Amino acid sequence: MISGLMSAGAMVSGLAIRAVFVVTFATLSLSPEAAQHMQAGIAADKQRQFDVAVTEFKKVTELEPSFADGFISLGQVYIEKHEFGSAMQPLKHALEVSPDSAPAHQLLGYALLIQGFASQAIPHLEKAQDKTALGVAQIQAGQLAEAVVNLQGALAVHPNDPDVLFYLGRASGLLSKQSIDTLIAGYPDSARAHQAMGENYFVLRQMPDAEKEYREALRLRPDVPEVHMELGEVYAGAFQWDKAEEEFRAQSKLQPGNAEAAYRLGEALLAQGKGHEARVELLRADKLLPDMPETLYSLGKAASLEGDSAAAEKDWTKLLSIESESPLAAQAHFGLAALYRKQGKTAAAQEQMQEFQRLQGGSTPSQAPAKQ
Amino acid sequence: MNSLLRISSIITLVLGGALVGPVFEVVQPRGLNFTLENSPTPQKHLIETMPGGVALFDYNNDGLLDIFLVNGGRISSPLPAQDDFDRHDPRYWNRLFRQNKDGSFTDVTEQAGLANAGDGNYGMGVAVGDYDNDGYPDLYVTSYGKNILYHNNGDGTFTDVTAKAGVAAGGWSESAGFFDYDNDGKLDLFVTRYMEWDTKHSKDCGGNFHTYCPPEEFPATTNILYHNNGDGTFTDVSQRSGIAAKKGRALGVGFADYDGDGFTDIFVSNDGMQQYLYHNNGNGTFSEVALEAGAALSDNGRRMSGMGVVFQDYDNDGRPDIMVTLLPREIYSVYHNDGGGSFSYRSLETGLGVLSSGSSGWSIGLEDFENSGIKDLFVAQSHVLDNVAVIDPSLHYLDVPLLATNRSNRFERIDSGVTTPVAARGAAFGDLNNDGWQDVVVTALGGHPQVLMNRGGKAHWLTISLRGTRSNRDGYGARVQVNGQTRFATSTVGYLSASDKRLHFGLGTAEKAKVEVLWPSGIHQILDEVHPDQVLEVREPELSEKKQR
Repeated sequence: MISGLMSAGAMVSGLAIRAVFVVTFATLSLSPEAAQHMQAGIAADKQRQFDVAVTEFKKVTELEPSFADGFISLGQVYIEKHEFGSAMQPLKHALEVSPDSAPAHQLLGYALLIQGFASQAIPHLEKAQDKTALGVAQIQAGQLAEAVVNLQGALAVHPNDPDVLFYLGRASGLLSKQSIDTLIAGYPDSARAHQAMGENYFVLRQMPDAEKEYREALRLRPDVPEVHMELGEVYAGAFQWDKAEEEFRAQSKLQPGNAEAAYRLGEALLAQGKGHEARVELLRADKLLPDMPETLYSLGKAASLEGDSAAAEKDWTKLLSIESESPLAAQAHFGLAALYRKQGKTAAAQEQMQEFQRLQGGSTPSQAPAKQ
Repeated sequence: MNSLLRISSIITLVLGGALVGPVFEVVQPRGLNFTLENSPTPQKHLIETMPGGVALFDYNNDGLLDIFLVNGGRISSPLPAQDDFDRHDPRYWNRLFRQNKDGSFTDVTEQAGLANAGDGNYGMGVAVGDYDNDGYPDLYVTSYGKNILYHNNGDGTFTDVTAKAGVAAGGWSESAGFFDYDNDGKLDLFVTRYMEWDTKHSKDCGGNFHTYCPPEEFPATTNILYHNNGDGTFTDVSQRSGIAAKKGRALGVGFADYDGDGFTDIFVSNDGMQQYLYHNNGNGTFSEVALEAGAALSDNGRRMSGMGVVFQDYDNDGRPDIMVTLLPREIYSVYHNDGGGSFSYRSLETGLGVLSSGSSGWSIGLEDFENSGIKDLFVAQSHVLDNVAVIDPSLHYLDVPLLATNRSNRFERIDSGVTTPVAARGAAFGDLNNDGWQDVVVTALGGHPQVLMNRGGKAHWLTISLRGTRSNRDGYGARVQVNGQTRFATSTVGYLSASDKRLHFGLGTAEKAKVEVLWPSGIHQILDEVHPDQVLEVREPELSEKKQR
């Protein structure tokens, strides 16, 4: 389980800096013989000759039993060898000699975490201020809220680290699930419990059950936010556009400032060919959250549906000024081509088609999974 | 109609010619005993979900429409490299049913010489046309395997003339149709082919779910154009005409002169890719122009799962429009003919977004079922996959047809009267009982054909039977206009099917009709003050009254 959370390789990847730290101090304070073994151990470790390094560092610890860095280095090599159990004794000894040694706490925390002793690892990782590993340990220990906080802190320092992103997502998801489980178990007849159940069924694509739960949630609390939106999504997924429209409209009434509700309502109207009404809602969505490419594309479609070529051209051109290389941009080019073709502007239509085809890489995108 | 066994007995109210209540009565005519044997297997061989076609035609010229039904075949499991599909077994024969005067049918397959569709052939579709202009409609049956051209001998029998005619095609053929692309008065033949699939290379997809593979899993292939030499033989002109210049995954075909240049053009619906519109250049060649004409993709520029197609004028502007049936989560395509060789996508405006986004459509027709003077829409529906509900509970395999009436160019669902969902595939349209109201026959995988008899009403109608003299005898390719409505003469329809070649027009309350025929020969013929409620034979004049070109 631990290796599933974080590989040993990933955990020891940051130790090179600490090795340099050890070398500096080793040469200043050790006896010549111990320093010689220390240097030999470091050299062997660099060359990944771990058994030699273990032998050399052991000699350092025998010669200098109060030299914490010798024990830390020995523990580090054991970790590199994936002998986590063996690493613990020298690291614990290092902490006896130097109770505030951050590298010793960090390595001992790793060793404990990898072996599944997450709760024991946590105090050491806290002292080492290693927020990533601490967050992972807290997930393991069920301290989900704390894990989210620490992983968010880690993400601030390492914003593009896939491991941190992954564990933050996991912690948040588990925290969410924990909260929902508590809700459903403790308050099964509440509107929120029915909403949560509806969301579960929606994810499982069990739409009749999702619809039933959402309906019950609305019966209990007609003004509960987001349920209309979610129910609308159920109907949209089943192509029941009139019902979807009804729910999105209800959501928009409850939350007139919700741009997504306005957009969804516009889409449902568009699917029914109600160009004018769709345009009204999409314009509202664009006002609430300006220049969203999806809204602009649909606005162009609605305008085109209404026969307002100038507006459609304006919307799609604006979209292309915001994003010029996306699939949505390709669709805008395709729409413009149709518009110009209808206006008899053959050259302009061809130009748009060329751009469309360029963005498709010479082909056209598929729409739906065929024959399945 | 009285002779037909009534299944439902819902009261129909007729108010001023407009129907209130279901349009059709589902009947099971006596003697029409047929099961479409597609032989579904757990291995999900793609051919098994694709048949079969139906033709409504009067093979013996007794004035009553007869029914030809294409059968699939037995698929061995496991599928051998060469499967004969057991077509020698009567269970897997195609069947011809002659309509009797009392509305019942008699199976005349054997006596007509149509038994046993050939070992190695798994049946798909059918085309009807009088290719030798002898006055008797001939049959062309498509298959996975070899296609068969049956010459109608005029004495109630047919002769397999495939070898002599040179039209076996091979591979996997789907929809086909007769038309006269060079206006020489002889019907040519267009054959769509789906893909390069064969029994050696069959496979299923979808992992544990076992689904039919998407078309992209198999190489595309070419369609075939056969030129009628006039001596009972055809020449494959696919290469020199330009038809073979593009490979596709074709399922449906429709014919009409979309740009009014006097030459019949071709629309081909392709599965999982762009659609093809072959413009007839008038010199024996075609140019594929769907993209530039605006009839290739959805409004989002996405390729679609094109299946059936109808190429007729839905909005009475005199120009043929195109409608294509698709899979769920797509919307049946409506390409409105704007004139000038250009189309615009109008699926949303016409209401198809509401009507079709959850359904799979196969055969499709634009017919005036209410005799109102405006064509209605009929689509035979069912998902491709028999286990689709397991994979996606929001979808279902069996379905009822879509019947929608055209109100101000927006289609609105009306009650077809069909309540039993089936795995529908083919559908053909015609007036089975000659009462002036269009009926439908729908094929269903593993089931009996659904015969939908129009319950009728009080509105007037006119049915026109073309008799070409300089043009091909069937008059295919003619543009016929009656009181502001337009039909383009063809029997090719929807998916794998052939409709009654007669052209049906609803006249509403009109007591007279003006009929204009623009023949493929260029002759423009006008008939005024035509009485309604009759089947009118219009014979192409030897001398033109008025030339348009």
